[in-house]
Amino acid sequence: MRETYGTTLPGMRLGELTGKLIVIEGTDGVGRTTQINLLKPWLEQQGRAVLETGVSRSSLAGKGIKQAKEGHTLGRITLTLFYGTDFADRLEHEIVPALRAGFVVLTDRYIYSLMARAMVRGIDPAWVRNVYSFALKPDAVFYLRIGVDDLIPRVVFSRGFDYWESGMDLHPSEDMYESFRKYQGALLSQFDVLAEQYGFDIVDASMDIRSVSARLKAGVARVLSGEPPEPLFSIPKPKEAVEPATEAKVIQMPAPAKAAGAD
Amino acid sequence: MKRYGEHRFPGKLFVVEGIDGSGKSTQLMLLHQWLQAEGYGTVFSEWNSSPLVKDTTRRGKKKQMLTPATFSLIHATDFADRMEHNIIPLLKAGAVVLCDRYIYTAFARDVVRGMDPKWVRELYGFAVKPTTAFYFRVPLDVAMKRILDGRTGLKFYEAGMDLGLSEDEEESFAIFQERILEEYEKMVPEFDLTVIDATLPIEEQQVIMRQVVKAKLAQAKRLRVAP
Repeated sequence: MRETYGTTLPGMRLGELTGKLIVIEGTDGVGRTTQINLLKPWLEQQGRAVLETGVSRSSLAGKGIKQAKEGHTLGRITLTLFYGTDFADRLEHEIVPALRAGFVVLTDRYIYSLMARAMVRGIDPAWVRNVYSFALKPDAVFYLRIGVDDLIPRVVFSRGFDYWESGMDLHPSEDMYESFRKYQGALLSQFDVLAEQYGFDIVDASMDIRSVSARLKAGVARVLSGEPPEPLFSIPKPKEAVEPATEAKVIQMPAPAKAAGAD
Repeated sequence: MKRYGEHRFPGKLFVVEGIDGSGKSTQLMLLHQWLQAEGYGTVFSEWNSSPLVKDTTRRGKKKQMLTPATFSLIHATDFADRMEHNIIPLLKAGAVVLCDRYIYTAFARDVVRGMDPKWVRELYGFAVKPTTAFYFRVPLDVAMKRILDGRTGLKFYEAGMDLGLSEDEEESFAIFQERILEEYEKMVPEFDLTVIDATLPIEEQQVIMRQVVKAKLAQAKRLRVAP
């Protein structure tokens, strides 16, 4: 039977959620959308009904988040909770009904990206875990893993640097390139911690699109056939030296606007 | 991130809590007048006032698309925005901050809607602990009479209509308020709320309130602006 990460929301009858919940995680520009666009028709050809969803797309809060981000004025805790609201709305109004109807739900990111973003901004991990503890445990989390060096050309040569993807709200550097490096590096180290804690299935996303897709399809097929997942990979060490996974990086803000109640 | 700790900002935070019709807003308004006359830098922080989140909340309520979970989270988001951008800076600046409703309102409402009490308390772990939290205790029938006399109609979520307690708005409201009242009573010892008997004459309640506030401000003389 399906489980949550802690608390169960009112009216959510877990026994009825017979579909499969499959998460594609990974940082900005790693190719999640491309991969989902390949997975969906592949599943449908096999006769599986697929619901595709992603973060900040809820009908309740999606627009509000976009507007608020335009102004760049959201506080860290506020932003975390806004994403939490959006997530809850999608969980209750999209994911749960689809699971109840026996769909395969493919979600572009899940709580892990949202948790990583919050933790990089110095928010207490235990608090963030509690906020998202109503989330359903997925059947599988495929984490598209990439190093910063492989990520940069993909982002720069496709759409350029984005304010939020570069963590510019944290002012790590005046320069977008430096900011992007620092911010994405910190995010990736948070993801490595989460990968261990939540048992992600790690996919090397530096491979070409077709190889990644083949790897994902094999993983998804295994989940759908009910076979146990392959034993967990140990996290491959990237070329450059990286801190041990347990000490995930947090971006230090210049003026540490500490959370409420700080001395 | 420190949780719900006793803040060490120079300002003071006074909050009023109680069910609708307990008279808490009237009492806070009278306290505000007095504090200003006494020369304290006093600021009123309203519930539901964050411009960033307001549109989303309004949409959710108007279209009745809020569930207990999203109702809880959108209000927490709104509260966080006020906490980060309004209440904390004001307390740092040494202001006396007055809040009509605070986290206890959320605890009561969300738990009545079926949310896990522990989860909700933890959700608001970033909130500053008030200097004093006043709870205006009033019997349900007294509060109901005050409200229904003065109002033309109840709003959907206000009456707890989303809980399906009754088809009738007034009846739904009464059942909802009764459950909220039970939650408040549980919180009195848990959070050491300062109870005011809200059936007393208005002036008497205000005298008690001012005494309590005065005692807390005595340790913060430097807040005083020269008249």
